Amino acid sequence: MNSLPVITWELSETVQHADIFSGLSSEFEIEIKPAISSTLRFYDDFDAHLWQANYLLCNADKQKFQLIAHSGCIDTVSAPGDARFWWEFRESEVKAKLQKLIGLRAILLVASLRLLETDFSLRNSDQKIVVKGRLTQSMGGDQPTCYCTLRALRGYSKFHTRAAQILEPLIKAKIKDFGLKCLLEAQDLEVFKSKQGNSVLLLTVAMQAEPAVRSIALAMLDQAERHVRGVIADTDTEFLHQFRVNVRKLRSLISLLKKTLPTTLIDTLKPKLSLIAGKTNKLRDLDVLILAHESYRTMLPANFESGLNKLYGLIEKQRKQEKNKVARYLSSKDYKATIASCAAEFSLNSVFETAMASKSIARVVKKLILKRYHKMLAMCQGISCQSPDENIHALRIEFKKLRYLIEFFVDLLPKKRIVKIVGEIKKIQTILGDYNDYGVQIGILNGYVDDALVDMSNSLSGLIAILHQKKIEKRSKVESAIADFFTENMTNEFNLVFGIRKTKGLG
Amino acid sequence: MRVIASYSMKGGVGKTATSVNLAYWAAKSGSKTLLIDLDPQGASSYYFRVRPSTKKWAKRFFKAYENLVTHIKASDFENLDVIPAHLSFRNFDSLLAGFKKRKNRLRRVLKGFDKEYDLVILDCPPSISHLSESIFIASDVLLVPVIPTTLSERTFEQLMIFFKENDYPQNKIVPFFSMVQNQKSLHKETMRAMSARYKIFLKTTIPYSSDIEKMGIHKAPVDVFAKSKQANHAYRQLWEEVSKIE
Repeated sequence: MNSLPVITWELSETVQHADIFSGLSSEFEIEIKPAISSTLRFYDDFDAHLWQANYLLCNADKQKFQLIAHSGCIDTVSAPGDARFWWEFRESEVKAKLQKLIGLRAILLVASLRLLETDFSLRNSDQKIVVKGRLTQSMGGDQPTCYCTLRALRGYSKFHTRAAQILEPLIKAKIKDFGLKCLLEAQDLEVFKSKQGNSVLLLTVAMQAEPAVRSIALAMLDQAERHVRGVIADTDTEFLHQFRVNVRKLRSLISLLKKTLPTTLIDTLKPKLSLIAGKTNKLRDLDVLILAHESYRTMLPANFESGLNKLYGLIEKQRKQEKNKVARYLSSKDYKATIASCAAEFSLNSVFETAMASKSIARVVKKLILKRYHKMLAMCQGISCQSPDENIHALRIEFKKLRYLIEFFVDLLPKKRIVKIVGEIKKIQTILGDYNDYGVQIGILNGYVDDALVDMSNSLSGLIAILHQKKIEKRSKVESAIADFFTENMTNEFNLVFGIRKTKGLG
Repeated sequence: MRVIASYSMKGGVGKTATSVNLAYWAAKSGSKTLLIDLDPQGASSYYFRVRPSTKKWAKRFFKAYENLVTHIKASDFENLDVIPAHLSFRNFDSLLAGFKKRKNRLRRVLKGFDKEYDLVILDCPPSISHLSESIFIASDVLLVPVIPTTLSERTFEQLMIFFKENDYPQNKIVPFFSMVQNQKSLHKETMRAMSARYKIFLKTTIPYSSDIEKMGIHKAPVDVFAKSKQANHAYRQLWEEVSKIE
């Protein structure tokens, strides 16, 4: 089947509906249907994951959510008007997609669109409908934008061509892929713009190290700051997580590249950033416990449930207190002053106090990455099945730093090879991270054991035993993951991408 | 894809009105529908305001599906397309006579529409001929309007005998009473007798109605201009009943 043309144009600002119809009436009889007005509300998470994946979640009334893809509405589901997380939706494609695309994020009202749609048909001299059309008035922005869509009908394409010719003088621009997404794009909403990474930074290979590090640090600080409102409002747990990730990255950046920055800057900012991170540790631990609730529940036999419920009653209470504490801190003058002073420090002009400060950032970074890799290579040679957890933990931290270092400066590195290397790093990080998480969870849960609360302590003991078993099982995976990563090929790859030296790997 | 033929060897029994209204309701209920007007008079095309091609193309009709595709025209209604008739279709019988495996020709060309349409409705000319036999093979349901009169009863009997003698599956034949005038005792008596004899009649009956005749004036299915009238309800009911036939 041949696809029939459907063309949409944006109309010039001065054009009225009457102008369109008067133009077309010279050759067609026009049948105009009553205009339909609607208000659509669009939801997405803070990172606009649905938008990035080309989906729109919209509701025209309070109870019904529609998931819209490029091909049209793919599912409609009823949900409470205040539903925020995927698990609050009933089983449906909407729920499955939200789970996959936004994970732990909350859906937020991000945009609304008021539409006035007027359908019309053009009839030929036989009174046959030969073209179908729609005038769409979108009132999302400051002033309405008008569009005209003409749809050709099978066997009557020549009339469509003719109608398009008649409208030509009234047209501002032809619109590709007209639809709700296009109408939202026309509003140029900040919410749909990428909030990820340092894409706004323009790093160049020849850039000197100190100004490059200062710019990245400022971007990191900005990224962390973007999440503060969500932490205070307790919108979802990802706000705190991402806030902490960005603060951690910033601390890693100045620590890894300390030789490019003035000593006074390091000495001033390190304790400040450490303080900020420390203030949120407990809340994050409690969030992790709450997110694990369902998984813990499934681990334990039913008769342990009352003890688990008591534990979670306590955790929820603590979380509420801790959340208020963190919110107070992030809203405080102290915090704002700390952030402002950090930003001011990073914004100062480069002073090139160290020799490394004026070197090309690409050279500095490549050298650091290679050095770190070889340090890790040496570290892993000392790891065996007898090695204490501390050694695994130290290696995990090194991997984290290595990945940060690569990702900060990814734009300066060969893309294809880096994607592959980062992919391998992510794989081993997942295994090391899972292993570490079991240890951390056991530690936190241990802290709740209370002989006065027998039920709860029994459940805790059960959980700790299961997590300990899981940790033991994971240990062998850790060792094989290390062996799989540090191969001769990987060493050669690091040497090739980040330097010229050739050394032997484990393999 | 299903193929439903609105067929009777007798003229003036309501084949075209059935095709047009059934196609309309099928499309309205969401089935992607193609109405093929096989009757050279082109009445169903006319009801949908679709003009026939200016060129004679009957010769190419049974050659390949691709020839038919180029003649498809959108109706005024969503999901409903039409292949209008052409006067040259009057030569279908002599054309088919010249083909080998003529009985399967129509079935073969219609197969091509399988991906695009859920339903093909054939508005058939009144005859029993090579074309009719192609229709018997191509269709899944042969919807036969029967006016409850002696002559129509006789015609229906002839069709049943023809199917039996030629080994066509009789279960394809789905008759229903058309142009029924309940005030006439002859109609009532014929309906009672035929329903008793043939248990295959549909429950829905189409009344004799001036609203159906007015389709010619309005050039549209009954629902467009006589929404609340009995004839319109009858056609809607007929589609509901036909759509449930397995």
